[in-house]
Amino acid sequence: MLEIDDLTRRFGAKAAVDAVSLSVTPGSFVGVIGRSGAGKSTLLRMINRLQEPTGGTIRFDGRDVTALRGQALRDWRAQCAMIFQQFNLVGRLDVLTNVLMGRLNKTSTVSSVLRLWNDSDKAMALAALEMLDIAGLASQRADSLSGGQQQRVAIARALVQEPRIVLADEPIASLDPRNTKVVMNALLRINKHFGITVLCNLHSLDLARSYCDRLVGMASGRIVFDGTPEALTDDVARDLYGLEAGDVMDPVHDAGRPQAAATAAAAA
Amino acid sequence: MSAPPSFLRERAMAEEAGLRSRHPDAFRAHWRRRAGVVGGLGAALLLFVFALWDLDVSWGRVIGGIGRLGEFTELMFPPRFGTVERLWSYLHALVETVAIAFLGTLLAAILAAPFGFLAARNVVPQALFHFGLRRVLDTLRSVDTLIWALVWINVVGLGPFAGVLAIMSSDFGAFGKLFSEALEAADRKPVEGVVSAGGGPLHRVRFGLLPQVLPVVASQVLYFFESNTRSATIIGIVGAGGIGQHLYEQIKILEWGHVSFLVLLVLAAVFVIDAISARLRFAIIGQRTGV
Ligand SMILES: Nc1ncnc2c1ncn2[C@@H]1O[C@H](COP(=O)(O)OP(=O)(O)O)[C@@H](O)[C@H]1O
Ligand SMILES: [Mg+2]
Repeated sequence: MLEIDDLTRRFGAKAAVDAVSLSVTPGSFVGVIGRSGAGKSTLLRMINRLQEPTGGTIRFDGRDVTALRGQALRDWRAQCAMIFQQFNLVGRLDVLTNVLMGRLNKTSTVSSVLRLWNDSDKAMALAALEMLDIAGLASQRADSLSGGQQQRVAIARALVQEPRIVLADEPIASLDPRNTKVVMNALLRINKHFGITVLCNLHSLDLARSYCDRLVGMASGRIVFDGTPEALTDDVARDLYGLEAGDVMDPVHDAGRPQAAATAAAAA
Repeated sequence: MSAPPSFLRERAMAEEAGLRSRHPDAFRAHWRRRAGVVGGLGAALLLFVFALWDLDVSWGRVIGGIGRLGEFTELMFPPRFGTVERLWSYLHALVETVAIAFLGTLLAAILAAPFGFLAARNVVPQALFHFGLRRVLDTLRSVDTLIWALVWINVVGLGPFAGVLAIMSSDFGAFGKLFSEALEAADRKPVEGVVSAGGGPLHRVRFGLLPQVLPVVASQVLYFFESNTRSATIIGIVGAGGIGQHLYEQIKILEWGHVSFLVLLVLAAVFVIDAISARLRFAIIGQRTGV
């Protein structure tokens, strides 16, 4: 159980995340939605502690993870795997090594620095790659792969961390419609098959509706909606995306990609 | 060819006054910037003229000298080396020069590596420390190889060892600075990926930064090796070993055939090193997976 209480992050005078409280039950697939700048990334990055909170607490199974340092912090990070919009792979290294990055925390520093990985770790990495249909690319350089393949490598890296939670920060924002479907389905699979909790930031409302069992809507750093996809009526969505504020850019942007939404909905 | 009047053009013309008043900045002539450019060019021209005058550049002497240059050139043909023993000693000196350049460059790179890491903002986020270290590296860098050679000759005596130390000393600072800049220019995203997966500080450097930086660093080291082969020739003239010594002697005794032979030897060596290092660089930055 992930429990976030009164979590705040300020950048200067501006609160990117403003007193957010949220609890996530194990095994759920939660979509965090909202316009760009709403604070979605900051929220996810604070959970992984890539960004330090200004105030509030994050608890996991009753343990406060906001104050962790050193090895305990790295252990926590391994437990909540992060998936990024830009994949964040080491481009010049091969795919297998990139996936094995997910084992760093459980490998002795000397052997990891010399890239002497365990056979069991390699087996895990290859199993993850096979599950995502990209084991054939194991020896290729990561930066020679397409975006969709790179994101699957990142998902494999997340899986070998044996995480309790996967935090995905707009994992499909740099992908085309076909790869969007592949990547979202992969996330759905690790959620349903392994029971890993998934917390996924999404820009597209239609994707969020079709993949998530719970939606959390953010605006200006605050939670303004929390419920099932069905409960998210058009009125609420309009509020969330601030149509009334006369900001027509976001909806236009979304409407520009009806195909992506349609294929994704069909896939789900 | 005149474009047909477009909707946008008509609208812009009708609205011009309004547009001007709404966006005064876009229409303002940038007199300041223009004055800066004109002033800068003027200052450069003045400096050029001053330098010509101050350095006593006399075209008459140049024209008179061209004749002598022609004579020397004539004397340089054909390039020759005299006896076979002479040839061997020249070749030996050439190998020594290349060895001085190689060792000096390699030692500088090895010594500079840890300092490069320490001087990089994204490895050691300590502003004052990093400022101090940078200035030290700058100071070392600003002293030319030739001056280092003169210094080391006084410390360790004449010979190639002084040459190696001279090249090492002057390139240490340059490498330290280049390495740290390569590290700072590295993409943050892979580092974040490693950290998010639970990697420690050493993993951050080893996997997030090193694979990105190593090709850059390796190709810089290769460039320096190339250019140091030329530097090693020069420092030979002041007695720090290598082929420069011979070159200096042959110029002094006006053996122009030997001089041109020695120059050709250096040229050939630089050419070969250039070809090899180009291949190495390509292999390092090419499509193979990194370390
Ligand atoms: N490192 C940072 N420095 C300053 N401001 C930031 C930083 N990261 C995010 N912000 C600001 O915080 C707000 C929320 O950003 P973010 O969490 O990235 O939103 P989202 O992911 O929903 O688009 C934005 O206004 C953004 O400009
Ligand atoms: Mg974001």
